[in-house]
Amino acid sequence: MTNETITNRVTYDKTIGIVNNNPLGRGFAHPIDMASKNGELFVLNKHPAFTRVGVCTYREEYLREFGTYGHGDGQFWLPTGVAVSNDGFVLVSDEFHNNVSIFTVAGAFIENWGNVGSSKGELDGPSGLAIKDDGNVLVVDQNNHRIQEFSRTGQYVDSWGEFGKEMGQLNQPWGIAIGADESIYVADWGNDRIQRFDGSGTPISIYGGPSESEGSLHRPSKPAVDSEGYVYVSDWGNESVKIYSPDGDFIQSLRGEATLSKWAQEFLDANPDESSQRDISDLMPDLPDHFNTPYLISTQIESYFWGPSSVIIGDDNKLYVVESSRHRIQIYNLMQ
Amino acid sequence: MLETKQKKLVVLQLSGGNDALNTVIPYNDESYYDNRPQVHIDPEKALKLDSELAMNPSMTAIKRLWDEGKVAVINGIGYPEPNRSHFRSMDIWHTAEPTKVLTEGWIARTIRELDPKGENVLGGINFGRGLPRAMASSGVPVASVGDLDTYGLFPSVKNDSDRNDILNVFSQMYGTGAGRDMVSEFLSQTGEDALVGADILSEAPAKYSSSIEYAANPLAKSLRDAARVMFADVGTRFFYTQHGSFDTHGGELPVHSKLWEDVSTAVGDFTDDVREHGYGESTALLIFSEFGRRIKDNGSGTDHGSGGVAFLIGDSVKGGLYGQYPSLKEKDQLNGDLYANNDFRSVYTNILEDWFEVDPVPIVNGSFEKFDIFEN
Amino acid sequence: MVTTERQTEQRSMMAHFMRRAGFGVTQRELDELEKLDYEDVVDSVLDPGLSNHLSDELVLRYHTEVHEQRAGPWSAKQWLYRMVTTDTPIVEKIALFWHGIFATGYAKTNQARALSVQIDMFRRFGLGKFDILLEELAKDPAMIIWLDNQDNHNGAINENFGREILELFSMGIGNYTEEDIKECSRAFTGWTLKNAEYMSVRAMKDSIWPYGRISWHYEYRENDHDGGQKSFLGETGEFNGDDIIRIISKQEAAAEFISRHLYDFFVADEVPVPQWPYTPARDPEAIRILSDTYLNEDHNITEMLRVLFKSEFFKNSRFERVKCPAEYVAGCLRTSDVISRPTLLMNEAVNVMEYMGQTLLNPPSVEGWHEGKEWINSGSIVERVNFAYDVWQNSDSPEVIDITDRMASDEALDAASVVEACLDFMGPLVFTEDTTKKAIIEHVSKGGTIKFGEKSTAVRELAEKRISEVLALIASSKEYQRG
Repeated sequence: MTNETITNRVTYDKTIGIVNNNPLGRGFAHPIDMASKNGELFVLNKHPAFTRVGVCTYREEYLREFGTYGHGDGQFWLPTGVAVSNDGFVLVSDEFHNNVSIFTVAGAFIENWGNVGSSKGELDGPSGLAIKDDGNVLVVDQNNHRIQEFSRTGQYVDSWGEFGKEMGQLNQPWGIAIGADESIYVADWGNDRIQRFDGSGTPISIYGGPSESEGSLHRPSKPAVDSEGYVYVSDWGNESVKIYSPDGDFIQSLRGEATLSKWAQEFLDANPDESSQRDISDLMPDLPDHFNTPYLISTQIESYFWGPSSVIIGDDNKLYVVESSRHRIQIYNLMQ
Repeated sequence: MLETKQKKLVVLQLSGGNDALNTVIPYNDESYYDNRPQVHIDPEKALKLDSELAMNPSMTAIKRLWDEGKVAVINGIGYPEPNRSHFRSMDIWHTAEPTKVLTEGWIARTIRELDPKGENVLGGINFGRGLPRAMASSGVPVASVGDLDTYGLFPSVKNDSDRNDILNVFSQMYGTGAGRDMVSEFLSQTGEDALVGADILSEAPAKYSSSIEYAANPLAKSLRDAARVMFADVGTRFFYTQHGSFDTHGGELPVHSKLWEDVSTAVGDFTDDVREHGYGESTALLIFSEFGRRIKDNGSGTDHGSGGVAFLIGDSVKGGLYGQYPSLKEKDQLNGDLYANNDFRSVYTNILEDWFEVDPVPIVNGSFEKFDIFEN
Repeated sequence: MVTTERQTEQRSMMAHFMRRAGFGVTQRELDELEKLDYEDVVDSVLDPGLSNHLSDELVLRYHTEVHEQRAGPWSAKQWLYRMVTTDTPIVEKIALFWHGIFATGYAKTNQARALSVQIDMFRRFGLGKFDILLEELAKDPAMIIWLDNQDNHNGAINENFGREILELFSMGIGNYTEEDIKECSRAFTGWTLKNAEYMSVRAMKDSIWPYGRISWHYEYRENDHDGGQKSFLGETGEFNGDDIIRIISKQEAAAEFISRHLYDFFVADEVPVPQWPYTPARDPEAIRILSDTYLNEDHNITEMLRVLFKSEFFKNSRFERVKCPAEYVAGCLRTSDVISRPTLLMNEAVNVMEYMGQTLLNPPSVEGWHEGKEWINSGSIVERVNFAYDVWQNSDSPEVIDITDRMASDEALDAASVVEACLDFMGPLVFTEDTTKKAIIEHVSKGGTIKFGEKSTAVRELAEKRISEVLALIASSKEYQRG
């Protein structure tokens, strides 16, 4: 599978990030989701022991980090989703704690809320969140196969969805995004599609569903929507990104084409024994037959997406693709 | 008490490859700053040992012990043909053999030397779970104590009386010595040893009373467990524990600083506690890591290197600098790494011969020029 | 439904077979197996087909680190999920078998994924013809790095792999000469990795930079291969590695070696492998039978296992093995039926295997682990007992609920009946000393008789708690250490 194009909705810009295997410091440790606000990128890291929100910029300045590994206030265990509100709050969902934590953008912990269960208002494995214009929070309630709405301080407002494969039903949904028209897009992971709902939870359409062949999805993790309503999907099970027109026509597939970020280049500069060998290696080799799934291929070809767990349209109107197993973010320009 | 005089060694393993250059710092050497533009210590804050070397600013308690003359710093420690793989290099330190893969540890061999019949089931204790290879050898009983207060069989049974009942059942299940075959008898014997060890250790916390308040970090907790066992006089000679991860490829300055704060405060508290109870002169603490790190930084941290630093701390230690501080000049480097100038087995030999008074040669697989770190 | 009647011999034989060919089965699975003919069950298990197990994708989504598998325990965790949830356990068991012999560790490869890929190769080829398995092994990237074959060059050989393939992987000491080792090594020159130099330096430095690990694959470098004339085990020719393997595989020494290993792993504990050249097999006749099968059935492992599982020597070998930590842990989790979705309990399970002395995917050296009674020491016994006790005293486990259900009667049962029944369910185990059984019975008696009530009542829940404690005590026994 390569980069297929019917029309060029996006073109590759650059890659930022580098792997980090310490509890602090620049770099990413299984980045699982991100949000962008006022030129700052909030990257949520899920690596056991190194969980945190790392804040950096498009130009690769590492600004700060907050949230640590643990069970206390301001700590994460299995963080899954991050969102930033217009009034300066960062929200993080945690699928082990079954809660949502709130911080200021500077990183000060405010509060957390959420309880495990299947009744309305209870959560079982929250895996994504999005903030509506009115400030309410939509939480993807993975193992209850539904979406729930809460106020910013955790008051239950509404919930919709149930297990199944019909329209309006969900199967272990993952990420969520809100369009400019306030319609809600959900990565319906177990049903291999994106479902679009209106603001009150009525299903409208699907993207990448089973009837699509070229534009089909396999275990998608997250949708993103631009101002014109084009839909970008991190197609996690296919290690790719799929792009659809607002009407659901498949228009472009990306396989990933990462280049060296600034931090990556700095590492290689400091390690000539590795970089000299890397320079003479074939990093896009042919593979033996038994490496025959997108996942296995991505383990071998470093520039391909591997573990694309989230996509967002940044407030600079670029497409950001978060790769949890490559610890980086590939950035694309929108050809709007 | 006989036991207070029996020599004991506490081994603190710094896992991940401690950056020697930022632990004992050549603060007046230009090349240090040239090589470490992003990852160097502020010389104003470093704790001066002499006109050339200083300790990391986090190491205040260890510096205090240095000022008392109780800290031996062994610079440039390593072994020939350094291996930069965590596992392999750590195994080399554990088995005292760089050239082939052994599975028997140097501490286990020493325990066997000191107690050939294995009469004491608690000769060596690891404060942590699992068994470090240094302490592994078939037939040498050992205990791994993750948490002294809950150590033993059936720790999940919270009610003391219930737990005692179940331990009683266990004792009858295993304690008969008989069995339908050799394997069954061996299982019986081993279960019994484990129970005896756990029994003995369960009494240690109650016997403990101290004025020292240990720092709140996992290493301090492990060392406090070690102290409590030590003061219970159960015949343990080796106390093993580890801290980490020192594998600071990125974000080194804050991470390394925090790690050494943990280590230094824990070591300070432990040493004070040991002294308070009269075990100061018979206890020595060895701190080591599997390798040092590269001379040049990578922009945010450092990568695996060689040539590290080790410490021996205790009231019977002759404090000072041992080994040579490796030169940072390019011509003196070993492929971009510090060139070690003394073999870690020299330190082991010193410990085995002068501290434990056993023949070091079979334990470290050879004869090595030893240091002279202990008071006579 | 089995109540307090002693289990039938058939059921007991099935339990024994499924412990050896897999990691044990639940009572419900035994109900089905008990109805079938033993030989048919053996044939069916040895024809595994596609495996169903807890979805990889569910595991990878929950355990994000298992998606990358940078570190050993992450890869080990994925394997443990397989062992516990697969419906073709023979495939995982044979992979574990070969892993212990073709012992390769992430301590040196640093890349844990390479070990996963190797284990998967064992799944695909481990039940087939030995020759093909050896050839896949020689091309396996983890093995190449492990035994330095990327440093084995035409004109500058590295004998590591050439030696071990003869000494540890096929025939054992005494069946070849030092010259054979050299010739063998020459034949494997050029069997290397794509981008070998870059991959080697990364492996040596444990480099995960900048973007995580890059997985490996095999590449043959013709221009680095010594294509000259070679003499190996009495034959001459311009042998390449596959020719060497063909010659090795037809040796009687290979037949005996594989047979003894199969016996050691699937039948009964032998002495440690280094003693094999000097100590005869426990059951030389069994080895002869298996060797003959190897030679007559085109070196096919499945056929050897078929003969093995159907033999008298196998049927008479109940509990003649000390369970290795992987069997022990996977067995407890599987037979208690507690893993139905991804859970962080598996993190602890992988760690506890390490504390028991077996770091899966990281054997201490190419000689593998010392097995049998050497798994037991004063440290590991504590970990084993504590783990099994904790798993079984969970009264929410479906198996505990089912076992209680089977024992439920309108009359209250006394401790002795309950303990006897539970011994059947857990093995059936036979406690060889009365003191063991008596101790448990006495302990259980203190709580009085056990009443069952109706399902989903408080009475039943109490019964489940008490039964779970009996099961947990049985799981703490000496006998439960053996399988």
